[in-house]
Amino acid sequence: MDSDCLGKEFEEFMLSYLSSIWDYRYFWFSLVQNDLKQRYRGSVLGMGWSLLHPIAMTTILCVVFGGIFQQDYRFFGPFLLSGMTVWNFLTHSITMGCNSFFAAEAYIRQHPTPMAIYPLRTVLGSGFHFTVGMLLVVALSLWFLGFPGILPILTLIPTILMIFILAWSLSMIFGLFTVIFRDTKHISEIGLQILFYLTPVMYPPSVLEGRRVGYLLKLNPISPFLELVRDPLIYLKTPSLETFGVALAITALTYTLAYSLLRSWEKRIIFHL
Amino acid sequence: MARLELDHVDLTFKVRSCNVITLKEFLLGKIFTNKTRPNMEVHALKNVSFCVEQGERLGIIGHNGAGKSTMLKTLAGVYQPTRGKRIIEGRVSSLFEIALGFEPEASGWENISFRSYLQGETPKTISKKRQAIADFTELGDFLKMPVRYYSAGMLVRLAFSIATSIDPEILLVDEVLAAGDLAFQEKARNRMKEMMARAHLMVMVSHDLGSIQTLCDRAIWMDHGSVRMFGKTQDVIGAYMNSVKPETAAA
Repeated sequence: MDSDCLGKEFEEFMLSYLSSIWDYRYFWFSLVQNDLKQRYRGSVLGMGWSLLHPIAMTTILCVVFGGIFQQDYRFFGPFLLSGMTVWNFLTHSITMGCNSFFAAEAYIRQHPTPMAIYPLRTVLGSGFHFTVGMLLVVALSLWFLGFPGILPILTLIPTILMIFILAWSLSMIFGLFTVIFRDTKHISEIGLQILFYLTPVMYPPSVLEGRRVGYLLKLNPISPFLELVRDPLIYLKTPSLETFGVALAITALTYTLAYSLLRSWEKRIIFHL
Repeated sequence: MARLELDHVDLTFKVRSCNVITLKEFLLGKIFTNKTRPNMEVHALKNVSFCVEQGERLGIIGHNGAGKSTMLKTLAGVYQPTRGKRIIEGRVSSLFEIALGFEPEASGWENISFRSYLQGETPKTISKKRQAIADFTELGDFLKMPVRYYSAGMLVRLAFSIATSIDPEILLVDEVLAAGDLAFQEKARNRMKEMMARAHLMVMVSHDLGSIQTLCDRAIWMDHGSVRMFGKTQDVIGAYMNSVKPETAAA
């Protein structure tokens, strides 16, 4: 079979897979709704917490780190919040993605569903908080820093789409790995802690630039996504095509890995739960 | 037209003594682990082929661990065959492990929705059925409570009512009839009979040879993962009984 034909088969399979995910939309969507509802069950503020939590965290960190890095809160507030929103979304997708298949064990044993819906469930759950966080960043940025122009704002659409696809793929990869090797969850937690300090979430990239560890920022796969979010909202400029290219390549690579793993392991998952 | 066919199906899976591979074992497995903790390969189905057509009622019998439930799950698509083909025409509804799979913090009403969506309902179709499902459970106001406070019997009532609310084309059943208290069992049995009568095609696993005899027109006798006999219910049950008798006499 030539490669062209293989590519076509791959594509067809993917389309039918995506449509079967769509067929189950009521199922996974109602589970996502339920997850969000349960999270705030019995609390007075309820959903209000998903708004209040990032505001409170930003304020605290602004007070603590704003002093250390000697930054103006009008810049540092949106800067911190944008970094944390993206970072938290990706790390939650990974750490909760690790459990996504175990949490769904009973459903998997009962009914043949496309397995990708279970990581999707976790990603959409944390995606809600990501969306709230991003809206907050946009509001803060417009208020403190001003309007960046139409084009920079529009670039956020492909950026956010890419971040969602990246999160879903990551959650799938780590979910699948955890099913086969239970250690994945613990290893990934430590790995993320290390990565956190190497990612300009809390500090501006300029802190590391010019130092010997500066090259680590360039190698960090999360940095381009932070740049894509921060360029329009914090620095009020259109992100460079190069950054877009790198981010797109990372997303495509992660997606392809997730998809290939899923295709070869999907049938075996049930025997390892 | 409902149709169900297994064509030279094999199913094998690996089970380890503690079922998990650590990363260390994965990386160093070739050197160390195969000696200390060998994989146990389970050959659950061996070269199984048969075909069930529209209107037929098939019963599966055999000893414990003969592969009856595995076969049912393979027919349902929960297990994918390692080799061979599974051909399905028609919508499959399955009744096994129904007591699992609830969202513990959500109420009975909410769980009715989740499970129904999993079975392929849409918000439109479900709005009509919801009340009927709730009535059948007889749980009343308890349905407003999170299901983690339910007793085992209440859970079974709820699970059974949801699972049997469908209009099945192909129905796969794994002895579920021991549901709830006496009054509910009677009701459940009638409901099952109705449902089986409506299904275009049914496959049922049971140890109760009596109910297989009354409900099924054909039967399969499974033995250590292979089909030992496939034919008319009476013949298969007769042969099965004959093979069991000497053993019981000896015991």
